Amino acid sequence: MDKRKTSGGIKKLLARSEMTVILAVLVLGMIFSVFSSSFLTSYNLFNMSRTAAIYIFIALGQAAVVIVGGMNLALGYMGGLTVVITGYTMEIMGFPAVVSVIAGLLVGVATGLVNGIIITKLKLNSFVATLATSFIYTGLINGISQGNPYNEIPDGFTVIGRGGFLGIPYLLWLAVVVLIVLAYFFRFTVTGRRYLATGGNQEAARLSGVNTDKMVILANVASGVFAAIAGILWISRTGSAQPSTGGDWMVTSFAVAVIGGTLLKGGVFNSVGVFFASFLIVMVRNGLVMLQANVYFEQAYLGLILLLAVSLDSIKQIISERRLKKELKDQYSKAG
Amino acid sequence: MLELKNISKIFPGVKALDDVSLSFQKGEIHALMGENGAGKSTLIKIITGIYHPDMGGVYLDGKKVEMRSYRDAVEHEISMVSQEIQIIPDATVAENIVLDRIDKFRKGIRVDWKAINQTAKVYLDMVGLSISPEEKIQHLTAAQKQLIQIAKALSAQAQYILLDEPTSSLTTYESNNLIRLVKDLKKKGVGVIFVSHKIEEVLDLCDVVSVLRDGKYVGTKSCKGITRQEIVKMMIGREEEAEHMGFLDIGDEVVLEVKHAVAYGKTRDISFQLKKGEILGFYGLVGSGRTELARVITGIDKLDSGEVLVRGQKAHIHSVQDSMEKYRIGYVTENRKEEGLILDFSVGDNLTITVWSQILDKFRKIQTSEEKKIVSFMVDKMKVKTPTAETKVGSLSGGNQQKVSIGKWLAANCDILIIDEPTVGVDVGAKKYIHELICSLAKEEGKSIILISSDMPEMITLARRILVFKDQKVVGEIDGLNDKEHSYEEVSMEIGKLMA
Repeated sequence: MDKRKTSGGIKKLLARSEMTVILAVLVLGMIFSVFSSSFLTSYNLFNMSRTAAIYIFIALGQAAVVIVGGMNLALGYMGGLTVVITGYTMEIMGFPAVVSVIAGLLVGVATGLVNGIIITKLKLNSFVATLATSFIYTGLINGISQGNPYNEIPDGFTVIGRGGFLGIPYLLWLAVVVLIVLAYFFRFTVTGRRYLATGGNQEAARLSGVNTDKMVILANVASGVFAAIAGILWISRTGSAQPSTGGDWMVTSFAVAVIGGTLLKGGVFNSVGVFFASFLIVMVRNGLVMLQANVYFEQAYLGLILLLAVSLDSIKQIISERRLKKELKDQYSKAG
Repeated sequence: MLELKNISKIFPGVKALDDVSLSFQKGEIHALMGENGAGKSTLIKIITGIYHPDMGGVYLDGKKVEMRSYRDAVEHEISMVSQEIQIIPDATVAENIVLDRIDKFRKGIRVDWKAINQTAKVYLDMVGLSISPEEKIQHLTAAQKQLIQIAKALSAQAQYILLDEPTSSLTTYESNNLIRLVKDLKKKGVGVIFVSHKIEEVLDLCDVVSVLRDGKYVGTKSCKGITRQEIVKMMIGREEEAEHMGFLDIGDEVVLEVKHAVAYGKTRDISFQLKKGEILGFYGLVGSGRTELARVITGIDKLDSGEVLVRGQKAHIHSVQDSMEKYRIGYVTENRKEEGLILDFSVGDNLTITVWSQILDKFRKIQTSEEKKIVSFMVDKMKVKTPTAETKVGSLSGGNQQKVSIGKWLAANCDILIIDEPTVGVDVGAKKYIHELICSLAKEEGKSIILISSDMPEMITLARRILVFKDQKVVGEIDGLNDKEHSYEEVSMEIGKLMA
């Protein structure tokens, strides 16, 4: 009796959507630590955690809009513009770091607001809207920075990006706190629930009294803010504000969000999933270097992993549908 | 002769067709009827190659034909006219007509537009459409699009044409034109399979009628000398009747009044009053203004002029949130799956979406214990058959989904309910339960209800006053249904007169 209960419990645990990615992280971690002695070192883990934390914010930037059934193709350029404005105000205008960070966050809010208003008021789909604004933001990045990085970043600024507490980087602490807050937000607040409902079925949500336009705008602003945070943390991590920041965020943002269980059709968010998915991506990149694989092929490996992750559910579904159909057919033919 | 022999089709959980055998002749108009879920649409899809039968087969002149797609059906000279066969809105009339065989119109590697347009013109004349072959589809009316589909079928040399609910979105004038054309097709020796809900139309137009019920073949009868009642009996398996559900205790208070409501393109100058505890029926066809009016009242669409008074006060309703929170009016939509429910969300979430903002603690956190209480109360009250409150609402049956769709407005404490086509796609048992529920909401709880329905028995069973809608207006009112028992025939005749 007891035994059956535990096996039922384990089954339930394994059925949770984030289990696949957690298992993948564990298995991959074991493989890499067997084949490379430098993988499981505190230095490497610390470094991987710093990158994973920033990936979490990049992924949240994408997830924020994917949850309401949208997407943000301008995400990286919103991050890039934040980096440029933060660097510019610090180095050229000589603002104190705090003011520059606030300016950077405001860039995130403003760019997100622009996207959100275009999508809701002009009734454009998010693909074309953000495709267009991505060019605008890229132009602003190039125009303002003239392609030059800002390297005069105060030392205090890099503490968050490089330091740690209890052996865990500040960056990761920050990401975990944000993930916990989000899990609470989506479960226990009215806005969070309505946000999810908008993604689940926008028309049904609107007809149930949800101001869905407001939710879509909120989602886009949140996307901008997460992009801005990721950008600022990137400066803090590297000690330099590079205008090219964000150029490679698109694939990463979708990969981490989707592998982490955020459904592209909207309505679902999973904090735990996003956390482990970001580690999965970092580990693949890091592990490949450790195994001395040809790094030029790195994107191909990432693409394969993404493909596997997105097709897993639909493969499962195809199999179970076939089985069900076969059972029914047998049943009916038996019944005559 | 087009024959179906021993066809069965299984979908996960249901046997949509069970050993159906039927035959259609050339030069005959053959009606196919049945209630929602009887298997008509599955059968049509099998005849046109969209579905493949799990057992049995389709035979043309005695030879079995294997069809894997609609294209195969067209190859076998079977065509369908339906909203499901897409016509391409950005293409021209001519392109759409020859679409299946466009590769046959070539001059070298070039498409021969001249030949395409000439061919199209021939078939446009045949269906009596005097439009240019180069017209874009998107500028046409629903009736014209249908005629184009027929032209397309003719150009494919179709020997059998299936018409799926062809008159449902047409005006009377347009339907008459279509019916004339169908009679023409018959003269040309085409076999017409005519799927329709409208019994009068079928009796008038068709030669024979076949009926399906619960996926089974019930029978085929000649349309000469069969009565409406007999067909209905074949369809539902018993006599059609309006059940008497007892009288309502209708108050004097006017809870909702609409004065001269105009929404351009949707409603034209509609006024009415709804009293406390009343069930007011809106009867009419799709597009007659009934659903449009409901959407305007509840703030989903904009009211262009006129006013709405709720409990004697002028109401300003600009969104569903206003309608629900300020005026306690709920609208149960006719499109349960698209607009009523979030199918991937749980039963619980779907029931409480309207009340999340009312169950907060002092830190503005949703009290999940309160939420659970509401869900279990509503699930009990509405008798929703669900394994758990966390079950996805999309996995429930149509009837149980509808209970959830109504339940969320009761959870929000709405006392004016507008319920649109409550029993579409719902099985017979659940239908009866939903009728009893609607009646008891008015009788026991004093809710004021507007019932929108095109199901005549349902309307007469429930409504105690009926407004008849036509062409975006109210064309008549039938009152006094709460004073004494009326026979079903009497009331349905009266509605029929108003609709004519």
